[in-house]
Amino acid sequence: MIILLYLAILVLGLSALCAIFTKDLLVSVVALGVNSLIVSALFFLMHAPDVAITEAAIGAGLSTAIYVFAIRHTKRQEEK
Amino acid sequence: MKKTEFITGSFIALTLVVLLGIFFFQALFQPSYEGKVMPVDNVNLKNRVSLHYVLKNVNNASKYLAMHGMRYFNNRSSVPSQTITYGKSKNLEEGSANEVTSIVVNYRGFDTLGEVTVLFISIIGITMLIGGVVEKKWIKPSLIVRTGSKFLFPFILLFGVYIFIHGHLTPGGGFPGGAVIASGFLLLLLGLENYRFNTKASKVIESLAGLTFVCIGLIGLFTKNSFLANFIPTGTVGLLYSAGMVSLIYVVIGIKVGAELSTGVAELKEGNKND
Repeated sequence: MIILLYLAILVLGLSALCAIFTKDLLVSVVALGVNSLIVSALFFLMHAPDVAITEAAIGAGLSTAIYVFAIRHTKRQEEK
Repeated sequence: MKKTEFITGSFIALTLVVLLGIFFFQALFQPSYEGKVMPVDNVNLKNRVSLHYVLKNVNNASKYLAMHGMRYFNNRSSVPSQTITYGKSKNLEEGSANEVTSIVVNYRGFDTLGEVTVLFISIIGITMLIGGVVEKKWIKPSLIVRTGSKFLFPFILLFGVYIFIHGHLTPGGGFPGGAVIASGFLLLLLGLENYRFNTKASKVIESLAGLTFVCIGLIGLFTKNSFLANFIPTGTVGLLYSAGMVSLIYVVIGIKVGAELSTGVAELKEGNKND
């Protein structure tokens, strides 16, 4: 259980660093979604299922879609 | 804006702030406890755990607190309370089996009304900024995506409704249920290229749901002398028809949040007029 938690926290940190340091915005948004998914799994493992459901639906689902819609309205670097 | 309007507006806001501050500080230093804010000093923070919320014993505890004053903090185990058995205990002070729900909707229902209002205002902002919209061209989704989204949408909707109807029994509630419903509509928006989300109908549904929430609160005000007080008898703990108005309010919140979030996503998908 403890090893699982440490592994999850490791992936959490990696995905957060990836979201900050990549040049491509889409990759960054997908990394944020992965981050939210792992956070919701951590909430569930630590016996907070209420928060886990909300985080999975809003953090991993809706906000990722909203970021992608926002990026769609900007222009890519190469096209300029 | 005219300058006089600005000055009068800021004057009114300042007076309100000063009045609220006076009210708050006066309540802080009142000698009696009942119905007032607790004094900041001489409260041991270790004693302020939510034991009575978990035992659904808050009314008894506050009566005891009003009678005995500071002695409450020394022997709280003498506050009368009863053991709660799942499926057997009847007519408790708060009948929902999920403790998070009992705090969020019943004991702190006014805060939930505030949260719903914040969401409402943010969706109004989104609709004002990027409403009424020209549709961009999308790449046509493949057959698998179209069929899959059509097939999965009713099940996702059903799951969302299940989450908020069983909010007082199992983990979940109005906000997660509404978010799940909104993600179902998001699937339809992404999967079907001709699908138009009816934003007008969703706004009407959302406003009606918010009005129902306030009306339930007002019924509590007129029957039990307190806004959002529970006026329906709380049945047996753990049954579907229990917990009084908590389940009613969660149905309303679920419909409202689902309509709001799907409106926001639909408006954001279609984009800006100035593009």
